[in-house]
Amino acid sequence: MTVNDGAELVRRCRAGDGAAWEEIVSLYSRRIYNLAYRFTSRTDAAEDLTQEVFVRVYRSLEQYDSKQGDLQNWLMRLARNLVIDDYRKRQRAPQDSQGEDLEGHTYHLRAANSSPHVEMERRELGEQVQAGIDKLAPDLRTCVILRDIEELSYQEIVDLLQIPEGTVKSRINRGRIELAKILRRMRVVAMSDV
Amino acid sequence: MLCSEFEDRLTDYLDGLLDASTQVAFNGHALRCPVCHDLLSEVKNTLRVCRTATPPAPAPSLDARILMQTAPESVMTCDEFEDYLTDYLDGFLPATLYHRWERHAALCGRCTNLPGEVVRSIGACYTYINEERPVPAALHARILQATLGTTEAENLRAPLGARLTELVRGWLDAIVSPQLATVATMLLVAVLVGTSTLSDDGSIGGMYRASLRFASRTYARGANLPVGRAVMSGDLKGVAGSLGNLLGSPGQNGKQNAQPAQNATNGQKQTEQQKR
Repeated sequence: MTVNDGAELVRRCRAGDGAAWEEIVSLYSRRIYNLAYRFTSRTDAAEDLTQEVFVRVYRSLEQYDSKQGDLQNWLMRLARNLVIDDYRKRQRAPQDSQGEDLEGHTYHLRAANSSPHVEMERRELGEQVQAGIDKLAPDLRTCVILRDIEELSYQEIVDLLQIPEGTVKSRINRGRIELAKILRRMRVVAMSDV
Repeated sequence: MLCSEFEDRLTDYLDGLLDASTQVAFNGHALRCPVCHDLLSEVKNTLRVCRTATPPAPAPSLDARILMQTAPESVMTCDEFEDYLTDYLDGFLPATLYHRWERHAALCGRCTNLPGEVVRSIGACYTYINEERPVPAALHARILQATLGTTEAENLRAPLGARLTELVRGWLDAIVSPQLATVATMLLVAVLVGTSTLSDDGSIGGMYRASLRFASRTYARGANLPVGRAVMSGDLKGVAGSLGNLLGSPGQNGKQNAQPAQNATNGQKQTEQQKR
């Protein structure tokens, strides 16, 4: 979508065109839902968060200025801010209502009469990565998701999280190492379950 | 020769140090005694293996241990190795650290596999980027209901007035650029500076009058008129006449150069008299 297309859609939305808003929702819901899921690891929490993001976007349409960037960048910046704020709040809140998603544990379960090797191949790599990310400490998890999954630059992460670049790099480094060790252990556990 | 003497002479025999008669007796015993014959063969084989076999490689950590005890400043610890891993992958390690890091990767049994595992892990994350989950079925409807108040968005049409407003706003956005704000600010600052320095009574009109006076003086200097007697009358004909005299025929340059000043003064006097 060009800058003009995004600006045109927003203009129509501001004027009250429902079809334009529906188009924006269709264009970006999948990406924002996946961003929310990567931080929450729960489908229900990710749905709620996605809805919250779009409500906020809808109420902030007046603030969009096409001269400052295209719609996707503006929208994703807003979405990331909201998702990370929500993630930080949930880390501070009591953990009892945030049990791990059942899908996070499926890698420990084996289908009957199948070898660990076949099961490993059958299981999607994405589920392994999500399960691994889920086990990281929150600060490390945030930085690894933003760098290696959302593909943000160091400066963008600095601007988003409001922490020094040295801290960002250090957390990314430590997060990657921990994730590599977790994924290695997961493979070892799966292979040794005979 | 007895077997005990045969064994005692074995090494000298292999080194070629036996005298002729002893060597003959040694060879004769080896031929007659199968036990000593086998012993000689085994020792010869063992020596050959010893000479040709390569020594076993030491454990990779041996170099690291030696360096740690002898030149600890050149050795990187495992913690440092992990701290520098992302910088190494990004290509940001300076040369001195780079070589130490690679040596640690090669020598440390605990860390040697880590870079490969981290790279594979990052690769798995990149794969995960493309494995997006589909949006749950009812989520779109929930979002539309929460924002528009209806799930049938296509039924919401923009009113004509609102569309026109947004259209005009779109044009204005293109015209009223952020640069105009900068220009307006610069003009404001210029007016503030001008009215406080140039203007005698602090007004914009005073600024204009002061500008006119400066221009008159400049004009007078240029026209060789006495300062104070030059008044910018705005008489274009007078000025044009003066200029015309100034640019007259070459033969009359000397005379005519004196005339423009005179004519200019006369023209201005006449104009002033006309005004009165």
